[in-house]
Amino acid sequence: MVNSGLTQNNQLDKEHSGDKPLRVRFRWLTDNRMSFLFLSPTMLLLLFIAIFPLIWSLRLSFTDWSVIGDAGKIPEPVGFHSYGTALGLGETRTEKRVGVEVAERFAITGQFVLPTVIIELLLGFGLAMLLNRKFLGRGLLMTVMLIPMMLTPVIVALYWKYMLRTDIGVINYLIHDIFGGPRIDWLNQIKIAIWALVLADVWMWTPFMMLISLAGLSAVPKYLYEAADVDQASAWFKFRHITLPMVTPLLLIAVLFRTMDAYRLFDQAWVLTGGGPGGSTEVMSFYLYLVAFKDFETGLASAIGYIMLIVIIALANLLIRKINEIADEG
Amino acid sequence: MAEVKIKNLSKRFNLDSPLAVDGVNLDIADGEFLVLLGPSGCGKTTTLRCIAGLETQTEGEIYIGDQLVNGLPAGERDIAFVFQFYALYPHLSAYDNVAFPLRAQNLQKDEVDQRVQQVAKLLRIEKILKRRPTGLPSGEQQRIALGRAIIRRPQVFLMDEPLTNLDAALRTDMRVELKHLQADMATTMIYVTHDQTEALSMAHRIAIMNLGVLQQVGTPLEVYNHPATLFVAGFIGTPPMNLINCHLNGSNSLSDESGAFTISISEIQNLKSKIQNPNAPLMFGVRSEDISVDTAEGAGEVRGEVIVREPLGDETIYEVEIGQNIIRVKTEPTLILNTGDNVGLNFAHDRIHIFDAESQKAIKF
Amino acid sequence: MTTNTQITRTSNLPKIIHYAKEFLFWFVLIATFLFSIFPLYWMFITSLKPRTDVEMTPPTFMPFVDYQPTLDNYVDVFLKDRAGAGFAEADQEATRKISEFPTTLTNSVIITTVTTILAVLMGTLAAYAFSRFQIKGEADMRFFILSTRMLPPVVVLIPVFLMFNQPGELVNNALQNIPISFIQAFGESIKDFSLRNSYIGITLLYITFGLPFVVWMMKGFFDEIPKEYEEAAMMDGYSRLEAIWKIVLPEAFPAMLATSVFVVITAWNEFVFVLLLNRDNATTVPPFLFSILGYGQVEWGRTAATSVLFLIPIIVFTFLARNHLLRGVTFGAVRR
Repeated sequence: MVNSGLTQNNQLDKEHSGDKPLRVRFRWLTDNRMSFLFLSPTMLLLLFIAIFPLIWSLRLSFTDWSVIGDAGKIPEPVGFHSYGTALGLGETRTEKRVGVEVAERFAITGQFVLPTVIIELLLGFGLAMLLNRKFLGRGLLMTVMLIPMMLTPVIVALYWKYMLRTDIGVINYLIHDIFGGPRIDWLNQIKIAIWALVLADVWMWTPFMMLISLAGLSAVPKYLYEAADVDQASAWFKFRHITLPMVTPLLLIAVLFRTMDAYRLFDQAWVLTGGGPGGSTEVMSFYLYLVAFKDFETGLASAIGYIMLIVIIALANLLIRKINEIADEG
Repeated sequence: MAEVKIKNLSKRFNLDSPLAVDGVNLDIADGEFLVLLGPSGCGKTTTLRCIAGLETQTEGEIYIGDQLVNGLPAGERDIAFVFQFYALYPHLSAYDNVAFPLRAQNLQKDEVDQRVQQVAKLLRIEKILKRRPTGLPSGEQQRIALGRAIIRRPQVFLMDEPLTNLDAALRTDMRVELKHLQADMATTMIYVTHDQTEALSMAHRIAIMNLGVLQQVGTPLEVYNHPATLFVAGFIGTPPMNLINCHLNGSNSLSDESGAFTISISEIQNLKSKIQNPNAPLMFGVRSEDISVDTAEGAGEVRGEVIVREPLGDETIYEVEIGQNIIRVKTEPTLILNTGDNVGLNFAHDRIHIFDAESQKAIKF
Repeated sequence: MTTNTQITRTSNLPKIIHYAKEFLFWFVLIATFLFSIFPLYWMFITSLKPRTDVEMTPPTFMPFVDYQPTLDNYVDVFLKDRAGAGFAEADQEATRKISEFPTTLTNSVIITTVTTILAVLMGTLAAYAFSRFQIKGEADMRFFILSTRMLPPVVVLIPVFLMFNQPGELVNNALQNIPISFIQAFGESIKDFSLRNSYIGITLLYITFGLPFVVWMMKGFFDEIPKEYEEAAMMDGYSRLEAIWKIVLPEAFPAMLATSVFVVITAWNEFVFVLLLNRDNATTVPPFLFSILGYGQVEWGRTAATSVLFLIPIIVFTFLARNHLLRGVTFGAVRR
């Protein structure tokens, strides 16, 4: 029976020597001390290398200090002057030009971020809808699609630069020689160059949108569709009232990530178009770099940086609020 | 080998949260099998974790043997703990899991091996010692967890719902086995469960908790036959005790509000003297097996209508409606009643319970 | 017979729709695959092309079919630019200097390795504390850590540049206010200390970039490891530190590896900061790659070969950690 082995086996309590537990080692390391010990390196480093510089640049943004000319000098406070200049309230000609430039660069950034995120979202979600099933080589496809977003942005930009060349570029060869379209001067035409940036970014990040959409789609419980089938719901109804509400929160998170990343795009603009032609691809990050390290207007650059920061925080908050709203409803 | 004393134990998790454990006093004798019983969230697991040293109590003292263990790290209290989900280390083999506590003591390899084999034989897990716990059936995982607990020969075993994750048949087997194991080792055991069957079948004594407060401590028969509070009366026993709101009607009977339920208590001599306020709301309690059915016309202390029949095979339970109240009666399976039948009920008067509805406490008589 | 025709009619149309759907599915599948893989394929075959084929129109697509592949470009990666014409001659070939590629690659490897080890270590410990201990202001601290990732890097670039330029001087300026001579002397002695063009500076910076990610991810993993593991070990007479070492870390190790892939990729790919801060010393491969673009004629074959060499570790990593990557790129928003 179940207990036969136990009742006859009495050697354990006979031998009960009651070995006393040893004193626990590292007794001095109480939970409180340990949490302090574990947290402080991370918090200190972040404080010194992320937060301290930020405060410093806030201070600089209220001065007209320049890293080149004024090294060693005490920064001269100028109040909100730099902010005024950046926002187009300047009085002198150069100041007015800066205001116009900042507005233009914000517009350029918008012209890049908006189409990029929208195309990636639609394309990625569409692909996911189509590919949301089991098929041969699914794992391989997923792995291949992960590669672009892991690659060095500088190299991606380099390679698109080569492929987009008017004369020897393979893209133009395909468009012109194979499909009979016009040769497109991707990188040297004002209206088109920004689309070269969009194209490269779409190549890199559409898979990201697709993979997130797929994760979202596969998380929709099957019984919801089965219930809708029982009710003879149309395909559109199922999409509109089951699929979309279930994947929207995840998609919004993806949009948040992509917007934040696209907003700070730098490497590709630097390598692929170099801001040209005629400054038509100088996105904000790139412009800020030029003001800070080409014109050496450190104070002004800090102010522009803060304006950039405020814009992205506002934008992110808007999106996060939307995400939370939807999460609360669900 | 040790007794455990808990004095005035209280635990509050956050400053603004209510007490999870509220002034618990409990003495557990050496070698006793004590079951802490209660619904989820009643503070039984928190009490156990305080004894183990996994939580720090807000107030109160805990003694293991003669030693005050407040502030002593868990590892120095000489106790073993079996977790609900076993907490077996997935990257170690069953052998290493069982040997793990001994390695903390820096024992010789030979001795570790000898003792692991001994425990493995006792628990009949010799054949799976080399395997990793993940993927083993839950019964075997349970045995490995037990092995890890008994190998160090601690002074006290603490078990937190160890059988909850087993299927019903295995649970019954393990209940018997655990009881024998504890009896053989004669080690003090504090066992937490929400399952009254486990508690009644295994414990020397049961301590019942609700909302952080200790309700009653007693042997299984004591808590079953003499529940000290309304909560215990309702919690222990299947089906639960029938409880009816009522009040003293004159000196000789109890009746509910409508008067449909009236029962003579003339033979309970000193009940009235036990109740300070004759108008106080009371609660009448009787277990379903202490009621008998009389089908004769007009017979019985109270009469009611059969509304539900639950045949369970070895017995049948009828729900009988009397005015606003429903009383469940346990009968022989041979007694067949139909819904709508009007029947009389008789109560075993030496086995009825009266509670003060305000203080919730039993009125002893 | 009416019933028969009806059956064929009703069963044929769905069949056509079914085949059309199948066709569309495989078409999109293959198109997506080709679109994703083509630039990589193009880079790879370009790196194998002889000089004359790189700039040929129409371009050649198939090695061995359209042209004879060569490893010349890979040899070129390690050599400096050929100056002027006549580069085919053997004696000139022999005198060409070694390029910066080996140096910058070594730097990339050193900086990435140290960054990864330290960031994962520090971040894992912090994540453990967040997961297991009740910490005052934990939510605020976690938000603070996450928010540092939202910053556009260029915004911190300016103050970081200033701070790294002469941190010694900054400290010295502060110390000179203290009227104690040996403290002032100490200030003088570190006055010229700089974090620019140094391994330490850029590594600290990359650790800072990686930390929020590690903390966020590892906290998610620790939350999934039952705390009963440590509690069981602590009941058995181990201290919490030993329990972490013996039980928690072995359990968390795969997660640490997966997380480290992201730190590796961030450090390996970073461009702006290293370009600005480490222009003269401790430079990594991305700025070097950018520099060989040069002006005028670009040697695409050599650039391709350099890129391929630099990308191999990343592609290997992507392949190895493919099952964890999605969770990583979304900061754990997607659970698998």
